[in-house]
Amino acid sequence: MSVTAVLHSEWIKIRSVRASFGSLLAVFAATLAITLLVYATVGRAEADNGGDAVFGAFYAINFAQIAAIAFGATAVSCEYTGGALRISLSAVPRRGLFYAAKTAVVASAALAVGLVTAFTTFLVGQAFLGPYAIGLGEPGALRACVGAGIYLTLMALLAAGLTFLLRSAVAVLSLLIPFILIASFVAGDVAGNAAAWFPDRAGQQVLYQHPPGGPGPWTGLAVTALWAAAALLAGLRAVHRRDA
Amino acid sequence: MTSIDVKDLTKEYGGTRAVDRLTCTVAPGRVTGFLGPNGAGKSTTMRLVLGLDRPTSGTATVGGRPYASLGEPLRTVGALLDAQAAHGSRTARDHLRFLAVGNRLPARRVDEVLDETGLAAVARRRIRTFSLGMRQRLGIATALLGDPPVLMLDEPANGLDPEGIVWIRHLLRRLAGEGRTVLVSSHLMNETAAFADHLVVLGRGRLLADLPTRDFIDQHSRPRVRVRAADPTRLRATLLAKGFAVAGDGDGRWVVEGARAEQVGAVAAREGIAVLELGDERASLEQAYLALTADQAEFAAAASASPVSSTLPQEA
Repeated sequence: MSVTAVLHSEWIKIRSVRASFGSLLAVFAATLAITLLVYATVGRAEADNGGDAVFGAFYAINFAQIAAIAFGATAVSCEYTGGALRISLSAVPRRGLFYAAKTAVVASAALAVGLVTAFTTFLVGQAFLGPYAIGLGEPGALRACVGAGIYLTLMALLAAGLTFLLRSAVAVLSLLIPFILIASFVAGDVAGNAAAWFPDRAGQQVLYQHPPGGPGPWTGLAVTALWAAAALLAGLRAVHRRDA
Repeated sequence: MTSIDVKDLTKEYGGTRAVDRLTCTVAPGRVTGFLGPNGAGKSTTMRLVLGLDRPTSGTATVGGRPYASLGEPLRTVGALLDAQAAHGSRTARDHLRFLAVGNRLPARRVDEVLDETGLAAVARRRIRTFSLGMRQRLGIATALLGDPPVLMLDEPANGLDPEGIVWIRHLLRRLAGEGRTVLVSSHLMNETAAFADHLVVLGRGRLLADLPTRDFIDQHSRPRVRVRAADPTRLRATLLAKGFAVAGDGDGRWVVEGARAEQVGAVAAREGIAVLELGDERASLEQAYLALTADQAEFAAAASASPVSSTLPQEA
């Protein structure tokens, strides 16, 4: 089988389902909308509150990650409505190839959109800050932009792997989103240092000019990558073992 | 020559045998009807052939190779398992397009199969807006996409209107006429009789029969002749004298059990009785099928009492 052809086929699948392509676009659109709203209104007032200058520029990434998770989950879950997976595996019966192609397409799409989103939110947000603005030359800023794109990709892959395992976007979204919005903070206070190794907290280290403890910026991303890899391996095992 | 070969195939789901040591060969150049009541193991067998389910034991191959080892398998096997499986949010065209692209089929095939199945006008509509019959046509379009030498269709006539049923009958005959291997499952016996040359009959996962349709009907039904003559009284007396069982059908004709038209015709000719109407009464496939399963009294009784059919996952 031609790997390029299978990759192209997976890309058409994502493009042609509203839920998955819509969430991919939402990564960018939601982030831009929040950036415009927040930085145009309270941007200058919040700029000198003593927070990390670089991290302050990535407020909207909180929303981008929700969309990235939704993208990863829906790109996979469309295989589990009805018997869609049977049609897919009839066309590409080598399950490892099918799995790798889907994962690669989710990763590439999320990385491309994630990087554009990260640079856009940084540059657009700063444009509103006047004297408080920082540029890409600011120490840690470029690292944070690239890191944010990778972070969004890893969150999409984490969701994709879990969806292969659980076979339902609803299950994955109702697991991951409350975790990121609530559990991570609540548990963070209880668990202390351990919370810094959660997939979201660890990966977000890269958004700081001066990471506030825990793993460093790149190590943090590597920790998130390990979470995503674990989810993807569990998903692959499930796809290999289960009857379709 | 590409045939489907199933050898000693067994599939168990949690202790229940959905397919039980099934061995059969589906040959090219004819339509093979795959018969059995719901839960007999037809769909499971098809999924096993496609490598979607793992067999507990035994093998299933297409043209001598396991399905998973085929490169660009849509070029070899076209399958319709479940017309509801296509994702409702895609358009018919996109659905066929991702399949064609992955198997490097030329883009024109998408338009060709849309035309062939009468879906060209709705190609850009989302599948969720399709009626059952349109989904069924899309499933058939999917199977035809790679112009494959082997076709495997699970209940293709489901949801089709009468016009669609005539269309699929002609399509199946044509595909077999082109030398392809065509396996069509159905639980509708008489519908199957209209297009199948050969039958493979399953009951509770086991092979009950594997033979030409005509032989199947002959073996499992008694022949019978209906005859109308100018002198019915003399014909009846003659037939009775020859040892035939003759009964009236209440409509001026005689029904002769256990005889064929040529026998009754010969008797009448020798006696010089003018015959006005004479014909074999073909038993329907349904009657033959019921006769076969009635032979298996244990099967008939157990099938209604056993939980087999209700616990089989995804058996349609």
